[in-house]
Amino acid sequence: MLRYIIRRVLWGILMLILVCAATFVLFQVLPTVNPAVLRAGRNASPKIIHHIEVEFGLNQPLWVQFWRYLKHIFLHFNFGYSLYSGQSVLSLIENRLPATISLTVGAVVLWVVIGIPVGIISAIKRGTFLDRAAMGTALALLSAPVFWLALIAIYLFADELGRWPILPGPDSYVGLTADPWMWFKSLIMPWLVLSATQAAIYSRLLRGNLLEVMGEDYIRTARAKGLPERKVIWRHGVRAAITPVFTVLGLDIGALLGGAVLTETVFEIHGIGLLNFDAISHSDFPIVQGTTLLAAMFIIVANIFVDVGYAFIDPRVRYS
Amino acid sequence: MRKHLAVLTALAVAVVAVAVVALSSSSAKTAGSKAGALPASATASIASASITEKPGENPVGQQLYGKKSGGTLTVYSGEDFEHLDPGESYFELDYAVMYATQRPLFTYPPNSNTTLVPDLATAMPTTANGGITDGGKTVTVHIQPNVKYSAPVNRDVTSADVAYAIERGWNPNVANPYMEYFQTLKGAPGKGGPIAGITTPNATTIVFHLTAPQAQLLIGALSLPLSSPVPESFAGPMDKHAPTTYGSQAEVATGPYMIEANPSTGVFAGLGYQPGKSLTLVRNPNWSASTYSSAFHPPAYLDRINVEIGGEASVIGPQVLKGSDSVQLDTPANTVVALAYEHYPRQITFTPGSGDHYVALDNVHGVFTNVNIRRAVWANLDRAAIVKLRGGSLVAEPATHFIYPGNQGYTQSGGAAGPNYPWNKDVDGNLQVAEHYMKLAGYPSGKYTGSETVQIVAGNNADAPAIAQVVDQDFTQLGLKVRLTEVDQPTMYAKYCGVPKEEIDACPSVGWIRDFADPLTTLFETFYGPAIVPTNNSNWGQVNEPAINKEMVTAENTVNPTQAAAAWAKVDDMLVDNAVAIPEEWDNQPNIEAGDVAGVNDLWDTGSWDFMFTSLK
Repeated sequence: MLRYIIRRVLWGILMLILVCAATFVLFQVLPTVNPAVLRAGRNASPKIIHHIEVEFGLNQPLWVQFWRYLKHIFLHFNFGYSLYSGQSVLSLIENRLPATISLTVGAVVLWVVIGIPVGIISAIKRGTFLDRAAMGTALALLSAPVFWLALIAIYLFADELGRWPILPGPDSYVGLTADPWMWFKSLIMPWLVLSATQAAIYSRLLRGNLLEVMGEDYIRTARAKGLPERKVIWRHGVRAAITPVFTVLGLDIGALLGGAVLTETVFEIHGIGLLNFDAISHSDFPIVQGTTLLAAMFIIVANIFVDVGYAFIDPRVRYS
Repeated sequence: MRKHLAVLTALAVAVVAVAVVALSSSSAKTAGSKAGALPASATASIASASITEKPGENPVGQQLYGKKSGGTLTVYSGEDFEHLDPGESYFELDYAVMYATQRPLFTYPPNSNTTLVPDLATAMPTTANGGITDGGKTVTVHIQPNVKYSAPVNRDVTSADVAYAIERGWNPNVANPYMEYFQTLKGAPGKGGPIAGITTPNATTIVFHLTAPQAQLLIGALSLPLSSPVPESFAGPMDKHAPTTYGSQAEVATGPYMIEANPSTGVFAGLGYQPGKSLTLVRNPNWSASTYSSAFHPPAYLDRINVEIGGEASVIGPQVLKGSDSVQLDTPANTVVALAYEHYPRQITFTPGSGDHYVALDNVHGVFTNVNIRRAVWANLDRAAIVKLRGGSLVAEPATHFIYPGNQGYTQSGGAAGPNYPWNKDVDGNLQVAEHYMKLAGYPSGKYTGSETVQIVAGNNADAPAIAQVVDQDFTQLGLKVRLTEVDQPTMYAKYCGVPKEEIDACPSVGWIRDFADPLTTLFETFYGPAIVPTNNSNWGQVNEPAINKEMVTAENTVNPTQAAAAWAKVDDMLVDNAVAIPEEWDNQPNIEAGDVAGVNDLWDTGSWDFMFTSLK
């Protein structure tokens, strides 16, 4: 198992280097605008642009730039500086990450707590009114884009803006340590919105898997052995059916930690997603590069966790 | 996986923007709004119903003094600031903070577009008071005594600080974007250190020595943030960094407010300013209201100003309109303007003279080298349709020339009607006039029959694509074969329209905002031939007419303001006669505030909120 984990971590690092190369090509080799022109601002003279190119090393050969870029990231954890504010991208990310983690963790807990039981009940009660109502609701939520749901939620329930103002609205987020109660209240609506679609996906996914698994021979065998139905469902059915859900969950967590752009933008939560949105709006390449790498890192790490976790969840998987 | 590629993220951003606009109109519908009952694009027709029926306040004549003191104002802004260093800032949002925290030598009071008054200076320099001598080649300015810097500098401002502030503009680490206004100072351009053209005979006097009689231009330029004093002892070490960290990490203030900072270091980064998140202005304890002349004395009513950065414009707008103690700093969404127009008419203002847009035409390559083809496409362009696409007559009006409202010389150059040329008469386009000029251009059928293709590069954000379609259609109507490329706006300027060697035939919706009331700031950079540079070029049409260039130099060197305005009006007339570009529209900037805010707009700064004069009710 240890050898497997080490191998996966090494592959993860290689993957990160490849992502670095890809982002370098995207933002340094093929940028839509010369970063020095952006940094120079409006009306800058060619002389000043050249000076900035020298300062940023943009006049050096590409391989030198790439090597410096890799060195900064892997040895100094330095993602560069914003073209506009001059702030370190790492400090901006550090500043924004707690909000994104808060949003992600709460939303994940919600959609797992809602999605998995609903999926199981729907599968067990297949064809009943309960199943149809649950899957109908899931379909409706799946069809509703997150930003649309967010705006609807704001215009219905947000303070000052809503028809029934019962929850804090946009721009109400405060840090957990600053005011835990306000932190919780301000995230209720974003959590619900973000988890609604995901809960629907998870419930449908789990229902489908569970229905398939419950028709397998070994389930019939378990029942024939006289095991109680609850044990058959939980120990033999759900445990096997949940593996694909676990895979998706890992990837979703990784992706969300890279920034929930739409939710953060609409609710004005200053997380990685909003940072990314603003950076894209201003073509602030170093920030987009930084957040892209961060998202890639989260997804790679999540993948490793998922693969290792298989061994504990799925009885058919063993690493040697 | 969706976060893997920035491209996908950008796509998602575009999708949300479209959806947000769509939903905003439906939210207005819920409220029973006539405006909201129509799609977002139809707000244009509501707004264009009649300009005489504007329910929103026009900020001209707004109350400046005798208002309530105290309180905290919340300022929402979807956009972040770009530069908070007076040497670097060149953006309306930055200016709102700069003028509240820094004191340039001269300034415009909120209610004036054209009349400068002393701020840090004791008086406006004139020939009569000896401030302008040597036939307009020497300008002497005395500064107010006892003006103190905020902590940690805590000392009186001196004229040497003003000299350093201007000279550091040439330091490549500061790279001020409008140093061309100081190019006639002796010894200019500098490198960041002292130049011969700026001397400080004593602690409260600064003298500018020019190589040309351009005193008025210099005085205008001294109203920009660059002339705000900067203490070398404090900023000098920071200016050695590339880019300077003065204004991004730490700063000192001379105005009534300061960015909240550590008093022992002046560092505001992470405290008073968190990029993309927030900015906090607090009272500057070292500021004194008695250090002003009688012409301008900001009351500084508010105790604190909290700027909340980020978020979606269609969410911010309703937050302000329905909320309290708040204003929106950046431009409200069109749907929000419609909502305010219908339901909150006392909470929206429209500031005329907030810039212009035009179609840049390549004057030296391709089809548009022929002046009569340029006149023809001008005649046929439906400027009224473009106004509707911009948001209607509340937020824009058809442009007929290049000196836009609020600039000196606007009236002399024809006012709203503009110069009286046949191609300029019908703002909704006139095909017959256009065909007449196509015939004069050598196309007897009135349609272009040549083989060249017109390459148009346009922005792909907001209303730019729709406007590009209007331009495309009106060009095609004259037989021109058009190839339209849409890119994001920074790319449009930096890679295509601002790079002469790309030889782009037409760039719709290029925009310009004057730096101060002198028409030079509107016309020089954009239409003066010698100002053309290989990259980051702002003379997008590469206009280089010797007669126009000569007339610009004459206007530039005219000392008497009235004569200067007339000279610039003549330049404007020549630009229209040569149809060097096609004016699209002049902007009226909308701004929204909460019902309990007595906001004050700076007419000279695209109606941006003036925090020194804004108060709570």
